[in-house]
Amino acid sequence: MSDVQLTNIHKSFGITRIVKGVDLHVRSGEFLVMVGPSGCGKTTLLRLISGLESPDIGDVHMGGVRVTDTPPRDRDVAMVFQSYALYPHMTVRENLAFGLELRKLPRKEIQTRVEEAAGQLELAHLLDRKPKQLSGGQRQRVAMGRALVRRPRVFLFDEPLSNLDTALRVQMRGELARLHRKLGATMVYVTHDQVEAMTLATRVAVFNGGKLQQVGSPLELYNAPTNQFVATFLGSPSMNFLAARRESGTLSGPGFSLPCGVDLGEVKDVKVGLRPQDLRVQGDGEFSGTVEAVERLGSDGYAFLQTAAGPLVSRFDRGTNVQVGDNVKVCLLSNALHVFSADGEAAILHPGDERPRVEVPA
Amino acid sequence: MNAARTGALALLLVAGAAAAAPPLRLWHAYRGAEEAALEQAVKRFTEESGTQVELLALPYDAFASKLASAIPHGVGPDVFLYAHEKLRSFREKGLLARADSRLVAADYLPNALPALQLDGATWGYPLSLKCLALYYDRDRVPSPPATTDEWLLQLEQLSRPEDGQFGLAYEAGDFYFHAPFLFGFGGTLFDGAGHARFTGKPMEDSLAFVLGLHRRGYLPEEASGALVKSLFNAQRVAMVISGPWFAGEISPEMNWGIAPLPSVSSTGLPLAPFLGVEAAFVSSRTQQAEGAQSLAHFLSVGDGAYLRATAGKQVPADTASHRTDAVKRDVFISRFKDAALHAVPMPHDLELQKMWEPMKLALRGLLQGGTTPEAAGALADRRYRALHRPAPPDAPVMPWLWGAAVLGLAAAGWAFSTRSREPFRKRYPEAWRGLAYVAPAAVGVVVLILVPFSVGIGLSLFHHEPSGAYRFVGLSNFTDILQSRGYAITEPLSFYFTLFVTVAWAAINVVLHVGIGLLLALVLKDPLLRLRGLYRVLLILPWAIPNYITALMWKGLFHRQFGAINALLVAVGVEPVSWFTRFSTAFAANVVTNTWLGFPFMMVVSLGALQSIPQDLYEAAEVDGASKWVQFRRITLPLLRPALLPSVILGSVWTFNMFNIIYLVSGGEPGGATDILVSEAYRWAFQRNEQYGFAAAYSVLIFAVLWLYTTATKRLTATEAA
Amino acid sequence: MKHRPLYLSALIHAGLSLACAAVLYPVLWVVKLSLSPTEALSLSVNPFPETVTLDHFRTVLLASDSAGRWLFGRQLLASVAVSGATTLVGLSLAVTAAYALSRYRFPGKEGGMQVLLLTQMFPATLMTVPLYSLLEKLHLLGSLGGLVLVYSTASLPFCVWMLKGYFDTVPRELEEAAVMDGASPGQVFWKVVLPLARPALAVTALFSFMTAWNEFILAATLLDDQASFTLPVALQRFVGEYKTEWGKFAAGALIVSAPVMGLFYALQKHLVGGLTAGGVKG
Repeated sequence: MSDVQLTNIHKSFGITRIVKGVDLHVRSGEFLVMVGPSGCGKTTLLRLISGLESPDIGDVHMGGVRVTDTPPRDRDVAMVFQSYALYPHMTVRENLAFGLELRKLPRKEIQTRVEEAAGQLELAHLLDRKPKQLSGGQRQRVAMGRALVRRPRVFLFDEPLSNLDTALRVQMRGELARLHRKLGATMVYVTHDQVEAMTLATRVAVFNGGKLQQVGSPLELYNAPTNQFVATFLGSPSMNFLAARRESGTLSGPGFSLPCGVDLGEVKDVKVGLRPQDLRVQGDGEFSGTVEAVERLGSDGYAFLQTAAGPLVSRFDRGTNVQVGDNVKVCLLSNALHVFSADGEAAILHPGDERPRVEVPA
Repeated sequence: MNAARTGALALLLVAGAAAAAPPLRLWHAYRGAEEAALEQAVKRFTEESGTQVELLALPYDAFASKLASAIPHGVGPDVFLYAHEKLRSFREKGLLARADSRLVAADYLPNALPALQLDGATWGYPLSLKCLALYYDRDRVPSPPATTDEWLLQLEQLSRPEDGQFGLAYEAGDFYFHAPFLFGFGGTLFDGAGHARFTGKPMEDSLAFVLGLHRRGYLPEEASGALVKSLFNAQRVAMVISGPWFAGEISPEMNWGIAPLPSVSSTGLPLAPFLGVEAAFVSSRTQQAEGAQSLAHFLSVGDGAYLRATAGKQVPADTASHRTDAVKRDVFISRFKDAALHAVPMPHDLELQKMWEPMKLALRGLLQGGTTPEAAGALADRRYRALHRPAPPDAPVMPWLWGAAVLGLAAAGWAFSTRSREPFRKRYPEAWRGLAYVAPAAVGVVVLILVPFSVGIGLSLFHHEPSGAYRFVGLSNFTDILQSRGYAITEPLSFYFTLFVTVAWAAINVVLHVGIGLLLALVLKDPLLRLRGLYRVLLILPWAIPNYITALMWKGLFHRQFGAINALLVAVGVEPVSWFTRFSTAFAANVVTNTWLGFPFMMVVSLGALQSIPQDLYEAAEVDGASKWVQFRRITLPLLRPALLPSVILGSVWTFNMFNIIYLVSGGEPGGATDILVSEAYRWAFQRNEQYGFAAAYSVLIFAVLWLYTTATKRLTATEAA
Repeated sequence: MKHRPLYLSALIHAGLSLACAAVLYPVLWVVKLSLSPTEALSLSVNPFPETVTLDHFRTVLLASDSAGRWLFGRQLLASVAVSGATTLVGLSLAVTAAYALSRYRFPGKEGGMQVLLLTQMFPATLMTVPLYSLLEKLHLLGSLGGLVLVYSTASLPFCVWMLKGYFDTVPRELEEAAVMDGASPGQVFWKVVLPLARPALAVTALFSFMTAWNEFILAATLLDDQASFTLPVALQRFVGEYKTEWGKFAAGALIVSAPVMGLFYALQKHLVGGLTAGGVKG
């Protein structure tokens, strides 16, 4: 069993409260990605799992055992640092072997493991070099290898790909996914890149302001964000939000009116959330506005509009001709309406819901 | 049975201890033949008495202070050899035991014993006599002069200054060498009240006489010991006034003689030199008084004296050895014995200690500065009064204690009130590990640096008596220094003048160190420069040489007559410079020396700092069209500053207290003008009757100035950065 | 990099040669003095000896006392022992203290750093007198051990400052990586931090060594056996009350300086890096 349970974790540095009461269960064998803006406490949580920090309040359990006060070396976890933290005075081989030597593994075993990891990560020809002589991607692989040879219960990754260029990042992403499938180990991964979160994760945990916002599979989070923050954070371009007023069966704001088939109860003011992917620039639609910028991605593109209700981003298809300065109409695909409370704290309705998720008073 | 056995064991132990009595410890500063002779004499003593003796030869510079430290703590020697001039100082510190009944007055030459008498007792066994006499070149001086009139005639004939030929050479700038003239013209050292005396007709006459010798070109300029010796050996000077030590310096080709100094024709008095009596002193704390007394006595008479005379070429103070054939036949010894009979035992009065510095000032002024004899005497008198610091009155201790208690309470209260509300464990999660790591170093620093340091600060509130006692005087030392009592603030010896010199010294040095260091670093950082490694190794060299060696080396280079610097000047057709007679040149000599030894540190620091500047900044600037100079001003300098600042602060602190260079190169010449605060403090502590309290007050002021400086620098850079 | 015009190259080399000449000239004079048969200076621009003799070196190197002990050998041994021990003790004290000051938070830390800087400002000459009494109370007089303690603490403030500055530049993540790899605090220190701080350690060691190797006032005051005098004390014996034996002094000075020069040469690569990183953070 190599699950990780965080219970009511609080942590502050000086007078700054970084983590404000987090409960989170990392299931055995899953790839959990923690995302959030910088300063949200995700890295601190990772370090709390690693044992480099200890919580002010709360407990960490691993495999059902309380490890809150256990030093890192007794937790059987490995960590890959953002800066790789390779020992500059050791060769790649020594870097890889260091953790095993400290654990007093037999020489033979160390050699086997180092060579195995080097083979997996294509480092075999670099074993006798010093980190200084390696490229960024190679260093990154050494950092991974250092975790790999340890064969720990839990792998921890602290934004390991953020220093790589795009192509390498895509490649390493694939490699990580492959590793996870192969090892089946528990992995906790911190990033601020939502693409990494969506592509790698078994489950994603979104943090903001030291609190866990939502945890679930990537699609769950994409389809049914629990609040405006989560909705904004996942998906690119971000979800549009427009203030609206409920009047019988419609939600309307300046210059638009959307039908809503579900009874939302007493609530008057809401925010509608519209994913740009669910909007189309067409000859006719619920919204109209002026095109301020256009992003063409080849097969399709996004238009950035100014409407009476505020800025709006909408997808357009390849065939559609959109120019800056055009006045265009935008329509919402059916069954794609998200409704949030006016303060954005709660999601009231997601597409496909039969009834509102929460009762928001008027 | 058991008790008996224990008793027997104890007896054995006692017997063993007695048999293995620790050897007598004998300390001295002799070298060469004198040391060898002493070793023989001691060996003879061991053979005769069966007592082992352990010899310790010390550097002369460290000898007196080591005695003063060691004996009161009971770890000093049983017997030590020293000249009698320190007698009173030793006696007041309680270092000496009386010579016992072994000492028989008739055994010694008549003026040897009085030199060792004080407070109605004799405090040492006279070993040898040292005084000045006239060495002459027999080839050119057939018979030594008996009177000054004869002497002047001979000198007139022997001197051709334009050809570098002089009649006479001696270290005229030193009072020890001038004293015979003072006595010859009927002068005395002290006035009726026992105070040093620098004015009056005899003093003026003696100064005028020497000035006459100098004006008429009989004497070489600025004669140092080295010059005197070299001129005599080169037959460029016919007569030399010097002591017994000079004989060893004369080249074997010379045909030379020794005579007592002539008499002054106008007064009929002999030019009577100071007599120094080297003596064996028994330590007051010796555990083996009997053995120590007998060793000291043995060395002073009989075989001891004979060996020292024959093997060590000393002029023994005992009469018996002078009657032996070997010694009688030795012209050198017998002539010096004759000279010694006319000599005036150097007073061991502390008052004499206060005369050296003023008289040196007067003589230098006279011979190099164009001062008249009257003015020179007055000059000395003025310096004497400044140095002759009356002991400040006692201050009441209680108010200070109360003040300290109130301050302590206030500090404790403040510490308590500002205590953080945050729990200790939370605020300092690793406090115990941190403290444990720091502890060994902290203990060392506290015990071996902070405790002596606090003692030093505490001393500044006391007055140190020559006897070694301390009296509490409150802030008197500080008010004395800060009021620059007796001296205008623009004169050397006033705190403010010295402070100004010190600040100028530190500032100029640091600017030069950084400037030269940075310049070289800029050139040397280029990896494509050929021979870069070689240049770097060579340029670091001065750093690797101990600074006292550097100082002595440069002192030699700046020598008036033999210095290579003057030789270089002459080679390019410039008049040689007398470096240490003017403030500007003496100061420059100090600065050159210190720059030589100081720039490598800054060069290395700059090299590192330059390497830390990213190369792409220069490339960016290049693209922007910045010239090399603009790149240096706008990129290098601003980025270098934070990296260099700590080193610059540290460097200026070190330079501010760079004692060795000042003390060894210019020695404060002329007249203490180039002294900086530390060397001034040192003089008060070790050369002006051990005014430790006063010196400590100087140190506290130095500390305060530096503290202000570093705080201000940090504040300034902090606001700039903000 | 662009090529420099020839005249500039020539200028730079001329300037550097001049600087080297200025550095070497006085040293050559010492060499000349030590090799010349006389004890005296003579007026000359030429820094090379006209006649060469090794007499001065012979006298200095073969010095022995009345008991037939080879003084120079013993004094060299004493010097090496004192300086080596000082380096070892000073370095271990400085390294641990500097590491704690760089990494841990504990009460009195800032104050301690300030105090270390302040100790550099009080003139050392005046601490001899209280120091002597202190060492007597601690029963450390006359022993090389006492001298070692005094020297290693004397160089401590500077060493701690420099090492602390250097440790500050070692990324914390490296240590954390080691912790994650299973290293105990001690192993982190020994296997990761210390090897990384090698340049600073080299410089610190050099400073400690030099402090002990060159000092003579305390050594002369504290030591009571000629055979355990350090070399500078022996060197100082050539400066007498009435005259100084310059030839022997120069020979001795060269002998005393040689090991330090050698160390500088050996460590010069580290010197730049070691001093700077400390200095940058200061």
